[in-house]
Amino acid sequence: MTVRSEPVVRRRRRERGTASVVEALLWLGPALILIIGVVLYPAITLVATSFSSYSITGLRKGDAGITNYTTFLTSPDLPKVVGNTAIWVAAVVVITIILSLGLAQFLSKEFFGRRFVRWAVIVPWAAALVISSQLFRLILDYYHGILNQVLLNLHIIPQPIDWLGDPHFTLPSMIAVGIFVTIPFTAYLFVAGLNGIPGDVYEAARIDGGSPWQIYRAITLPLLRPTLLIAVVLNMIYVFNSFPVIWILNGSNPGFGNDTLITYMYKLAFRSAQHDVGLSAAAGVFNVLLILIAVAVYLRFVNWREGSKNA
Amino acid sequence: MKKSLRWGAIVAAATVTTLALAACGSSGGSSTDGKSIKVVIAEYSKDHTKKFWDEFAKTYEKQTGVELKLQVISWNDIDQQTSTMVQNNNAPDILNLNAYASYAADGLLYDSSEVLPAATKADIIPAFVKSGTYKGKFYGFPDLSSARALFYNTDLFSKAGIAAAPTTWDEFVADAKKVEALGDGTVGYALPLGPEEAQAEFAIWLFNNGGDFKQDGKWTLNSAANIKTLEFLRDLNVKDKVTQNNPGSTNRTDGAFSLFEQGKAGMVVGFSPLQQALADEHPDVKYAIAPMPSGDGAEPQTYGVTDYLMAFKKDGNKDAVKAFYKLYYQADQINKWIKSEGFLPVTTSGLKEFADDPDLKVYLDTLPNIHLTPTDDPEWDKIKLTIQQNIGLAVGDNGDPKKFLDDLQAQAEANK
Repeated sequence: MTVRSEPVVRRRRRERGTASVVEALLWLGPALILIIGVVLYPAITLVATSFSSYSITGLRKGDAGITNYTTFLTSPDLPKVVGNTAIWVAAVVVITIILSLGLAQFLSKEFFGRRFVRWAVIVPWAAALVISSQLFRLILDYYHGILNQVLLNLHIIPQPIDWLGDPHFTLPSMIAVGIFVTIPFTAYLFVAGLNGIPGDVYEAARIDGGSPWQIYRAITLPLLRPTLLIAVVLNMIYVFNSFPVIWILNGSNPGFGNDTLITYMYKLAFRSAQHDVGLSAAAGVFNVLLILIAVAVYLRFVNWREGSKNA
Repeated sequence: MKKSLRWGAIVAAATVTTLALAACGSSGGSSTDGKSIKVVIAEYSKDHTKKFWDEFAKTYEKQTGVELKLQVISWNDIDQQTSTMVQNNNAPDILNLNAYASYAADGLLYDSSEVLPAATKADIIPAFVKSGTYKGKFYGFPDLSSARALFYNTDLFSKAGIAAAPTTWDEFVADAKKVEALGDGTVGYALPLGPEEAQAEFAIWLFNNGGDFKQDGKWTLNSAANIKTLEFLRDLNVKDKVTQNNPGSTNRTDGAFSLFEQGKAGMVVGFSPLQQALADEHPDVKYAIAPMPSGDGAEPQTYGVTDYLMAFKKDGNKDAVKAFYKLYYQADQINKWIKSEGFLPVTTSGLKEFADDPDLKVYLDTLPNIHLTPTDDPEWDKIKLTIQQNIGLAVGDNGDPKKFLDDLQAQAEANK
């Protein structure tokens, strides 16, 4: 038996070293084709489109050089849109993280009905964003919305509020909905992170006489750091790219006063007077670069490598 | 081990081939072999549009032996999807849209001499031939039309002590104030100037004040009559306060019409599909229809809309496209379609056929003299988008109607 098994092991090793290029390509093929088809090809098309000039019908008229970029960057609406985007991403991500940290603590405790509460938290995430957004559009409606009715009946407000039309309330309303739909994913990320912290660390801390707040600050938060990093980075990207919430809640408002870069990009292509896919593609390239830079700056700022080494 | 490696490689190879084939399949299809045509239709209603066109496709296929690939797309998405089709060199053969001039200007379309029977062209109401003609050639073949008129809630009017529909703008404001004064969330006039169809609302008011978008081939967007009209509309909101909350953010279908359907609005500018919706879903709303009140003392003007069925030039599709129009403009097809959607005819023969419908009489009489927007100018396609996106800002508290129209005029002239 032992004599016979030895050559098998040797053969296996030899095969590993000499797999032919063709064989390797066949193995990598499906993944490569997916990457090329789903990531690379659209990216190249986007960049090519951004350097082309298009008719309103979508017909390519020729090369545009960098005019799409200069037109986009000098657009009078851009500063407002960038400002909206910054407020939208920062507010949604920060508030979501804070609320989710609390919620995750709550969800990781044993209590009666925990299973039910966990399901209840995950439902908004399972529902399609478009449906959640439409639902909120109904809830926040000026004439028929339930929120105005409740607040009026409780005499909290003297007259109905135009949550989605009044410039003072539109962005805050959208941020509230954005937080609502972002919390489930984030909270569950933190629940998983909390479950990964070994119980004996807490036991040791308690024996040393640490108060709950001290324990939270000195043990939970540092050990949760990798999860926190992931939550912030993923949410930054998700929230930045979030289209349905803003598109639907801001749908009947004129102008670009409540748009973020993502909805602005769509409007440039299909709804604005420019109606120009080339210009919109330039906006798309700008968006990708902007979010990459934002994430890189954030990772640099929190010293990502060191953080993961400690963890 | 070796055996399973080989087997795995075969599976991998098969996957690669399948994916590659799938990729080819989706990118092909830009050329036409005369065996099939792609027809893209806008969804006028959930219940009727697809039903009619499915039947139409069957009849067409039986007659010609050419397969009709039907795509029904909602109004919200159709512009984006067709633009993407053209961009990917995968245009439809027949496209149903509310604009055509930009496509004609890009040289993408057949004109009537190539695909439309001469008798059909002669049958189409001259006003629509004119609006479908770009640089002397008829490209925008109308599929149906609609005309707007003033709808008023007779219950609210009698409660407010108003006997008849207003005929002047002063009467209109006075009546709207009386209805508004009824309280309980009632609004005098439901004014939709949100992005959905703002150009239509603006158009009907300015036509009834002696204004126009274009006159004698020149843009007249910031004419005195137009500025006065937009200032009047802003005053309805800001000064007279007889509109619903925030008209600049109110769309037509889910905003203004829905208020009228709930009996909460005294007046709204409507069209025949609203009549159909009121009859089907809100039979308790009592209303009547009147011509628009006049701002300049002239006869009331009717604003109309027509959508188009245009044909894209492609190698080998001419006969199939010709056969399509021949069938579509047969009285039993086109009029069945227009009736099922609750719109108005576009042909003289259709006018006769619809003449005995009492519900439509108020529109039909005005149809031959109807006022249309300048859809025959490609520039209008962009002007329209600016009006839709931005006019709402001009009627708000901080809005400036004159500046908005001056900017609009500058935009039109800059691109000339």
